[in-house]
Amino acid sequence: MLRSEAVKVMVKVLAPYIGDTMARSAADAHCQKLGIADGSLGPEQLDLLLAKIGSGLNIFLGRDKSAVVVGEVRRALADAGAGR
Amino acid sequence: MSRARAAGWLLLLALGAMFVGWALAPEAALYRDWLTPRRMLGLAAVVKIGFLVSGALLAFACRDGLEEGNPARPAWALLSAGLFATLVGQMSLAPYQLVTGQTPFPSVGDLYYLLSYPFFIAAFLVFLRAYRESGFPIGPPAERVAIVAGVGLCATLAAVWVLRPVAAGGGEPLERILNVAYPVLDLVLLLPLALLLRIALRLRGSHVGAVWTELLAGFVFLCCGDIFFAYFTALGRQHLDPWVHATYLLSYGLVAGGANRQLQLLRS
Repeated sequence: MLRSEAVKVMVKVLAPYIGDTMARSAADAHCQKLGIADGSLGPEQLDLLLAKIGSGLNIFLGRDKSAVVVGEVRRALADAGAGR
Repeated sequence: MSRARAAGWLLLLALGAMFVGWALAPEAALYRDWLTPRRMLGLAAVVKIGFLVSGALLAFACRDGLEEGNPARPAWALLSAGLFATLVGQMSLAPYQLVTGQTPFPSVGDLYYLLSYPFFIAAFLVFLRAYRESGFPIGPPAERVAIVAGVGLCATLAAVWVLRPVAAGGGEPLERILNVAYPVLDLVLLLPLALLLRIALRLRGSHVGAVWTELLAGFVFLCCGDIFFAYFTALGRQHLDPWVHATYLLSYGLVAGGANRQLQLLRS
């Protein structure tokens, strides 16, 4: 799956919780920090990215809810074709 | 919107409208014969206590809802402590307001109101640190510096404009010191508040954004209430007190509402 497509899916799931603007900028910022360039996104990179987003969500939503939301993102990404 | 939330909003709006109506038309038959100043003061005292108890307990429950080590956990505890201090202040005033229909000033309640500010300011600073640690973008450093500088400048200008007549007004020295202290503390509170408002804007349209919109709106009303109180007291315009009650009611109600939203989010 392309990074841009993955970010689009993530933003769709995260937006109700943290808003479209924050979801998009958080996903982009973490991609940049992890050195994930435009192009194809591997499963390891995806795991790293979701771990970072999950740890950020912890602060707003708590660990349990954050895990649920990250699970939703994983399912949405799998449905969109990014599953392993 | 759930039924309970809709009922909460309706109650808050009805109370706000009732007190604004009192401020605008104190001579209307409704306020002359039924909702007399003494009854309105008693109602305000009881409702403020209700909102503060709810807010303090809900904020503490939010702290409990976050796991050990979560950087936002101490912030919720500090917010709860600030609301408890305000609650004790309000509870010390309530017997006078309910029995005599008067609000003594200065009073022992002021000690607790003043005590609440370090808790609120610390809570906001811890929230800001937690949000920075989240790794989510909270704006570039230059933007944050510009926001603090801009708000600081506006706050200083407003302080000079508002506080000059307050400081020069009549009354006992302690009364004047308190009348200056509250708005000054509010202006300090405004600095982290402005940064949190900026973050809340990025969260707009979301569950977390709704939490912050209510919480921060509550604190904006708190600042307005303090400034109104200082100004009206110093200038001897006690007939404008209904505005002060309206702003405090909205403030405490919104803060309790925001804490309730956060708790629902943690438990959902």
